[in-house]
Amino acid sequence: MARSVWKGPFVDAYVLKKAEAVREGGRNEVIKIWSRRSTILPQFVGLTFGVYNGKKHIPVNVSEDMIGQKFGEYSPTRTYYGHAADKKAKRK
Amino acid sequence: MTDTASDPRVIVGRLSGSFGVRGEVRLKSFCADPAAIADYTPLTTDTGLTFAQIVLTGQIKGGFTARIDGVVTKEDADDLTNVDLYALRSALPATDDDEYYYADLEGLTVLDTGGVTLGKVVRVVDHGAGDLLDIAVPGQSETILLPFTQAVVPTVDLATGRIVADPPDGLFPTA
Repeated sequence: MARSVWKGPFVDAYVLKKAEAVREGGRNEVIKIWSRRSTILPQFVGLTFGVYNGKKHIPVNVSEDMIGQKFGEYSPTRTYYGHAADKKAKRK
Repeated sequence: MTDTASDPRVIVGRLSGSFGVRGEVRLKSFCADPAAIADYTPLTTDTGLTFAQIVLTGQIKGGFTARIDGVVTKEDADDLTNVDLYALRSALPATDDDEYYYADLEGLTVLDTGGVTLGKVVRVVDHGAGDLLDIAVPGQSETILLPFTQAVVPTVDLATGRIVADPPDGLFPTA
């Protein structure tokens, strides 16, 4: 069942606080968070979060198309690498 | 990836035995577009076999059925169980600007902007939020993930095998 709209998106308070501090300071750093359940808000776009996966913090560069998703969706808790084959990486 | 003398090889798939009784094989593709494996011929194996032509004949769970030149009977196909297939790196199509094959990035040395070596790229991963370089740092058992962006990785020099990175604060213990 979807979350009621009147409640607004859920974000752990410490995530908001940390993101605001980094944005105001203009520092280039990874914001370490443990809150995988927090929703990605528009004010997080452009910041890099280190989202804990139970073992280490996975860097997540927040872009516009990630708004509304949860941080945990970008930090898998199980490892599967596969083969490189002909896969390409694009520098954004 | 295995290096030969001149052109490196890239693993693109695996044969997993026969399909049916008419010499067809089961083929698992590791390519981004699975059907593209047929375009990268000739494919070679660890045992020195070379397949000049591969024709995909159908789809099965987890892969394709295929006809391979030189494999005409079920017995021939049965011999090709758990056989890795490699393509020459030069057989892969050219990439766009700022686009790199994972296979090309693996093994590159990562330096910071001051010229200090940070580590070596062991693999490239993508968890949905952009590509990440997984870097093995000397003297550390844990690898470190570095976002593959213009801001963090300003220079990629495939010719010299070097990547210059400007990692965010706190990512590398020494940075």
